[in-house]
Order: sequence, then C-alpha cells, then structure tokens
Amino acid sequence: MEKDKTYNRRDFLESGMRLGLALAVGAAGGLAISKATAGEWVWQIDPFACTQCGRCADECVLSPSAVKCVHAFDLCGYCDLCGGYLIPGSNEISTAAENQLCPTSAIQRKYIEDPYFEYIIDEDLCIGCAKCVKGCASFGNGSLHLQIKHDLCDNCNECAIARLCPSDAIKRVPASEPYLVKGGFLEPALG
Amino acid sequence: MIMKEKGLYIFLSLLAVAMVAIMVADFDFGGAEKGKGNPYALDIEEFRSVDPSLVHYRETRNIRLPFEHPKAIAYANGRLYIGADSFLQVITPEGRELLHVGLSASPECLYAAEDGRIFVGFRSHIEVLNGAGEPIARWEGLGENSVLTSLTLKDGILFVADAGQRRISRFSAADGRLLGHFEGQTGKGAFQGFVVPSPTFDVAVNADGELWVVNPGNHRFEQYTAEGELRTFWENHSQGIDGFTGCCNPAQLAFLPDGSFVTSEKRIVRIKVHRPSGELDGVVAPPEKFEENGKAPDIAVSPEGIIYALDLDRRMVRVFEKKENL
Repeated sequence: MEKDKTYNRRDFLESGMRLGLALAVGAAGGLAISKATAGEWVWQIDPFACTQCGRCADECVLSPSAVKCVHAFDLCGYCDLCGGYLIPGSNEISTAAENQLCPTSAIQRKYIEDPYFEYIIDEDLCIGCAKCVKGCASFGNGSLHLQIKHDLCDNCNECAIARLCPSDAIKRVPASEPYLVKGGFLEPALG
Repeated sequence: MIMKEKGLYIFLSLLAVAMVAIMVADFDFGGAEKGKGNPYALDIEEFRSVDPSLVHYRETRNIRLPFEHPKAIAYANGRLYIGADSFLQVITPEGRELLHVGLSASPECLYAAEDGRIFVGFRSHIEVLNGAGEPIARWEGLGENSVLTSLTLKDGILFVADAGQRRISRFSAADGRLLGHFEGQTGKGAFQGFVVPSPTFDVAVNADGELWVVNPGNHRFEQYTAEGELRTFWENHSQGIDGFTGCCNPAQLAFLPDGSFVTSEKRIVRIKVHRPSGELDGVVAPPEKFEENGKAPDIAVSPEGIIYALDLDRRMVRVFEKKENL
C-alpha cells in the first residue's frame, strides 16, 4: 500500500513519457545506424563463384533484373567464332537470330578488323540469364560475366537472388568497391 | 485459474509448433528453389562427350608432384623435366627424382636439350642451366611486355614464343645473342600475324626438323623457316572433336615421332592426336579425364610415342600409351 501511494498517476505518466521518448530516440538512432550501415555495403556477384544457374534473371525483385552481363574487354579474344555470342554448333558464323545464343539479342557484334570482332552488351535488353556467360566460360576466355548494376539495384536487406543462389556467389561488398570485375591478360578466369 | 494456465500452455505449445513448421517449410522451400532447373541452361555436354572408339590411348600411370603450381614439362635424354613453383625437378619416366633445384622465379616454360643444357623461360627472360641445374647464363632484352610461353631449339637457334608481344623471338643457343623476331606476317593481306588473346602460345619442332607455331586465335598451325617465312599451314575451326574452338586453342603442342600433332586444349580440356595432314587421328584423353573448366595440360612426348601430360589442376604427370589393339 505504501508503494501505491508513492507511485501515483503523475509518476506513471512521467515515466511513461520518458520511456516513450527513449524508445523514439532509440528507434530513430537505430534507423539512422541501419541506414548508414546499409549504405556502406551493397550486393555483388563473385564471378569466380557464379555457376550460371539462371536465377539472376528470374528471382530479382526488379523486372528486368538488376543483374546484367558485363564484358571484361581486356580478357576478350575478340574472336570471330565467339562461344558467348554463337549457339554451339551454329550453322554459320553470322548475326542471324537463329545463330545467336542470347535469348534477347542483347549482344551486339561489331567488326573491328580481320579477324577481330567486338562484343558489346546492350544493358536495356540484357536480362542477366548468364547463357552467354556459360558459353564464354566453356569455349572462350571467360570475359563475359554477371554483375549487379548499382544504378538499378534496390540494395534490399535480403537480396532475393542471394537467398536462392546455389553457389552462394552473391555477397555483401563495401559500397566503395561495389563491383567484382574480371580482367587481366595474365589472369584469365579459369586458365 | 488452473484451466486458464493450461489453456495458455496449450496455446504457446501450438504456437511453437506452428513456428517450427513454418521455419522448416521455409527452409525446405528455399532448398527446393535452390535446386530447381535452369530455364536458360546452355547444355554443352555433347561437346564434352567423346565416342569411346575415338579414344586411342589409355592412362597407364601417373606421378604425383610435390608442387603447388606445376607449369611446364619437357622430355629429353630419357628424363622428364618439370618446372613448378620456383623449382626445376628432373625425374625418370617412372617418377624417381634425379634433381630438384631452386630457380630465381616461377618458370613459365622450359626446353631440355640433348647436350644436357636446360633452357628455362620466365616471364620476360631466359635462364640456361647445366645438367646439374646450375645457372650458366641469363638472356634478357625481350621487353617488359613479354610473357614467354614456350621454347624450342632447332639448328642452334632457340625459338621463344612471346604471348605478350605476339611474336617468336630467336636467340643464338651458343651465346644468347638475340637474332630477331617474327610476327607471323608474310606480306600485306596474307595473314594477320599471331592472334594470341591469352597467354597460350606454343612453338615446337617435329622429328623432321620442321618449326611449327600455333596461331591460337585462328586455330591454325603454321610452319615457318628459321628466318620466319611461312611455308605451310592448316587450320580447323570447329566446336566438335575434330577441330579447335575458343579464343586460344590448342594451348599446347608436341609431336609424335611420325610427325603427328599432339594437342592440348583449354576450357573443354582434352588431348588429341592429329595426323601430319591435319585430320583428327584419335583422342588421347577426353574431357572426362580432367577437371571441368580446368587448365590445359602441358604435354611432352618420348621417342617411343608415350605422351606425358602435366595436369596443372591435379598436380601430377599423367602417362598415356597407345592401346595395343590399334
């Protein structure tokens, strides 16, 4: 009974307000910290771990996916018979649709000089299916590879693709170094 | 009161069971999703599989190596020479070690001469060792962009394949004098020169003394005079077993005593024999023998026609001999 006397309605309201204020400040601080932390890390694909499973095209919350094929030109052989551009066993080396590996014709083939051709990715058309990546890795130097484009990515707390990636190739990387791009004449992807 | 508590316990138990069920279902669902098929799959199995009747060799033994990064193999004087990490190892064909010496850096390629000298190619220079593995000369002057990938000797000239500068350099084997280079161009419009998109560029001499250079970007074998004039060539672009594909194949070249080409390819790793005229003769080791997406093995051949493949991924020498019934 003594206790009830010292803890009256005014005290209850005061402590309630203090608690509410503390919670509000804490929540605001937590939100700020989480925002700041989220800004320091972004999702990215490790191209050496990627197994070209096709999930990146379909599982991203964005449509089309924020995952795009990128081209490490210093690794590319600029070949006429390009394993990333042509369907294996295609009936001829040409830009005809039936010979192209990409389901959306997102790779442009450009003649440079005999015998060199340049392959450029049209990001607006690329859906990140990795079909060309598999072809390039199987027959070529592995210069085509997938990356999450940060001008498109929402940087979700839990990346929908990372959750399903069978090779755990998608990981958080510092926002200051947001891309894991292949490259280097002496360091071809897989030999 | 007791009834109320009992009800609460039942409710909490059901809630816990439901939560566990949801978590398990979510886990299972995620696992199933991870394993689901790929609607964009590119099936290359037909290019990896080889008709067993085409495989003319069998693997008779292998020799495990004590190195992290084997790089090059050569055969001469009844011995195998292996460059790896920063060491040179000489072993008998049965695997008994005869010599194990340290090198100044990581070797890229090597050539063992009949006179006992061992030429070791590093990234941009060459060192010559005597039969005991002691350095006797160092040849430089190739340039900072050099990436040496193969060495061979013919009529006192050491031919050096330089993938970085896409040319063959020639040194006097007697005194290390740089005699010149050739880039595979035989005149305007004839050829584009050596197309070397990655550091795989081989040069070898066959039993008839013919100098052959692999032009890997063109899937072409080119024969040159010692001065660098093109004499003949053959090529075969194909993603099938009969030819070569990708940016830079074949990655390695050696010759059988009858002049047949022994080739080693990267990406879809395989070793084949092509007749001197260029047609496919048979397969030494199909892709299933190697790691998927592995590195192209370096190859050496004995005068008896035994093929030694340096498996860079499994770190061993694999020995292939022709099947008796062929």
